Amino acid sequence: MKRSPALLVRKLTCVCAIVLGVSSMTSPSFADTQTKSSVLRLANAGEPETLDPHRYNLRLEETLLNDLFMGLTTFDARGNIVPGAAKSWSTSSDGLTWTFKLRTDLKWSDGQSLTADDFVFAFQRLQNPDTAASLAYFMDMLDNAPAVNRGDLPLEALGVRADGPHTLILTLSRPYPYLLERLLYPTAYPVPRHSIERHGDAWVKAANWVSNGAYTLREWQPQAHVALLANPHFIEPVAIQEVYYHPVVNEQSAYNRFRNKELHVIGSFPVGELGHARERLADSLRLSDLLSMMYLVFNTSTPPFDKLPVRQALSMAIDQRILTDQVLRSGNKPAFSFAPALLEGYEPVQLPHTDIAYAERLATARQLLADAGYSKAAPLRLELRHVSGIDGKKVNLAIAGMWQQLGVQTVLQQADLRNHFAQLRQGNFQVAWAGWVGENNPEHYLTLLQSDIGSVNYGRFEHSDYDAQLKVAQAQTSIAARNQALQIAEAIVVNAYAVVPLYSTSVRRLVDPRLQGWFENGRDIHQVRYLSWP
Amino acid sequence: MAGYLFKRTFFAFATFLVVVSAVFFLLRAAPGGPFDGERRLPPDIEANLQAAYHLDEPLAQQYARYLGNLAQGDLGPSFRQKDFSVSELIALGLPTSVLLGLSALAIAVLVGTGVGIAASLSPGSGMDRSLMALNNVSIAVPTIVTAPALVLLFAVILTWLPAGGSGSLQHFVLPAIALALPYAAAVARLIRGAMIEAAAETHVLTARAKGLSQARIIRRHMLPIAAVPLISFLGPTAAGLLTGSVVVEQIFDLPGIGRYFVQGALARDYTLVMGVVVVYSSAILSFNLLVDLAYGWLDPRIRAA
Repeated sequence: MKRSPALLVRKLTCVCAIVLGVSSMTSPSFADTQTKSSVLRLANAGEPETLDPHRYNLRLEETLLNDLFMGLTTFDARGNIVPGAAKSWSTSSDGLTWTFKLRTDLKWSDGQSLTADDFVFAFQRLQNPDTAASLAYFMDMLDNAPAVNRGDLPLEALGVRADGPHTLILTLSRPYPYLLERLLYPTAYPVPRHSIERHGDAWVKAANWVSNGAYTLREWQPQAHVALLANPHFIEPVAIQEVYYHPVVNEQSAYNRFRNKELHVIGSFPVGELGHARERLADSLRLSDLLSMMYLVFNTSTPPFDKLPVRQALSMAIDQRILTDQVLRSGNKPAFSFAPALLEGYEPVQLPHTDIAYAERLATARQLLADAGYSKAAPLRLELRHVSGIDGKKVNLAIAGMWQQLGVQTVLQQADLRNHFAQLRQGNFQVAWAGWVGENNPEHYLTLLQSDIGSVNYGRFEHSDYDAQLKVAQAQTSIAARNQALQIAEAIVVNAYAVVPLYSTSVRRLVDPRLQGWFENGRDIHQVRYLSWP
Repeated sequence: MAGYLFKRTFFAFATFLVVVSAVFFLLRAAPGGPFDGERRLPPDIEANLQAAYHLDEPLAQQYARYLGNLAQGDLGPSFRQKDFSVSELIALGLPTSVLLGLSALAIAVLVGTGVGIAASLSPGSGMDRSLMALNNVSIAVPTIVTAPALVLLFAVILTWLPAGGSGSLQHFVLPAIALALPYAAAVARLIRGAMIEAAAETHVLTARAKGLSQARIIRRHMLPIAAVPLISFLGPTAAGLLTGSVVVEQIFDLPGIGRYFVQGALARDYTLVMGVVVVYSSAILSFNLLVDLAYGWLDPRIRAA
């Protein structure tokens, strides 16, 4: 009687041992990759939707495209703008004509030489309605771009032409001093005409892949990895020969895989692990501020949020420092202006009540609401929309708590990211959490409140003085003059309490401490070409 | 039998059509579209995109177009994974899901049978009670809890196995165990009951009286009887393991079609979600159809009904 169970257990143990043994013999150990000095494994925030620079839409695709292509300008290891495919450039005095001198040693990864015509083809393809590029408007400062994109004008009408193989001339419809910055985005990258004409939409398949960046596409296994190989025809040699970008959606999984040495760099991990990481992975932990703005937006087209005193009272009752230091506790910086404080060369205009003590602010806010007709018997009731997730819930609950001190009753409504922003664009909300990440350019943020910008002005904010001042700024050809005009515009919007700036977000990364050439920067951009193992 | 076969197949096909149609319209009723993101889309550009994917057509026309393409085996282009067609994505992801499902099925049957037999040898004993208690825990604790616990123990603390990702068979060990646990427990329960019943059968008592060894009695005389309920359990289990991998694939970053399903739904990738639904529903319906047919084959009373 007693023999059999023991026998069974022994047999089962044998089977398990064999299965494990065979699997470890037939496949390379997961830790082996760790020891190769020319391989880098990075976590990416999700699965890229495309690697076509003209069809891309996501930040996580920008990360990959930065390694695969090089535009006229590019980044250095610290995120500064430096010459890329162009070695120099000049601007006409009216700011409307930009002439780029290309490097003469440019080659595609298949060895074909890359000329100004390739850039002309690329800029035209971006605006071609058949490409259906969702970010075509990134380059709508080019002469005739909107009309070409609508199909009203032929591609040749676009403000781009080659003057010989190494000179590219861009003509703009309005001055755009941030052009060098805009050229960093994949929408301005060259694409291989010879490959696209041969393979059509299949040019993006690994087998047909041709690009001009430090790396080429070796393999794309959806949901598993995008594998890149060093491009032998790039302008300079690189140290890392093989790069794997693994889509890791689950932050906890990213954290575990980093601890288990399966990944060398991860872009984010759960806030709850921050304490553990500080203690155990201190030499890997990199916290940095991201150029971004998280804010609350009032729907100014629906009462009572069309009334300035109501918006002002709600704004004054929010203590940004509590949100960052006590609620989020993950290195986010409190924000008091709509344009991020991290912008270079621009001094943002702060909310008028920034330096007033919180108790005093609450008293003023209560008075404002009382004057607007709200009382204990007839309190202000509102709905606050936010994106689902732990951080979103914590922040918005805290805000509801702050408003409760004014007697305001808040109902929280949450939805997934896509649904949330769809509702916001339709103006289907009262007060909502929103966020904007992006360029080192105050206009990028301030135009969100321009009355004719479209659905992205979620709260349908309308202020004729503000619109007029933005137009003044957009007519300036120098960045300094433009920023000065933008400051005046920001003062208007801050005093109108159209939005409540909350905080700029931070990036929690873990980077293998042996990796060299990794520098934190506000754009959170890290091209692999600058990295190396000791 | 031909009439029965025709009827069953017809109902399976009708169910398939209902499922595909329901998912088609439900997806489009969900707020937010495939081209909504954090960044703004000017109206002209949105119009270009909508036209490129036929989203500007009336819903009825889109539905007819989808069914027409489906009849030709064309699942369409993925809305979000613009560089792949849905068929390509499924062809890339299905092997992972099938390998995961099969490994889990093997673990569930082997471990479940072993534990079931061990527990049935002396019903009510300490061994039986502790095994069955462990069993109840395996059934009650969801995968979303067991999977991270397995990762913590075997990947993070012991560093024997990878915490996630793919690329080698080792990457499948923890996910397959996590997926198999509740099914193994169910199999164990089934086998234990059937074995206890089989022990009371007269031919088993005869075998014992003849002085055959315990191992031989179990193998030759008890297991064949106890395996009958297991076989009918395998149909739905195989379907369950294939479709149940959605959570496990998410937790372990495995590139199977379950992960496409979740990512596709969040991204409102209509065609990708539809494609996975087509695969899942055909798998479930085929398994059920096979079981139905097998029953009909075995039991003429069902055929007549």
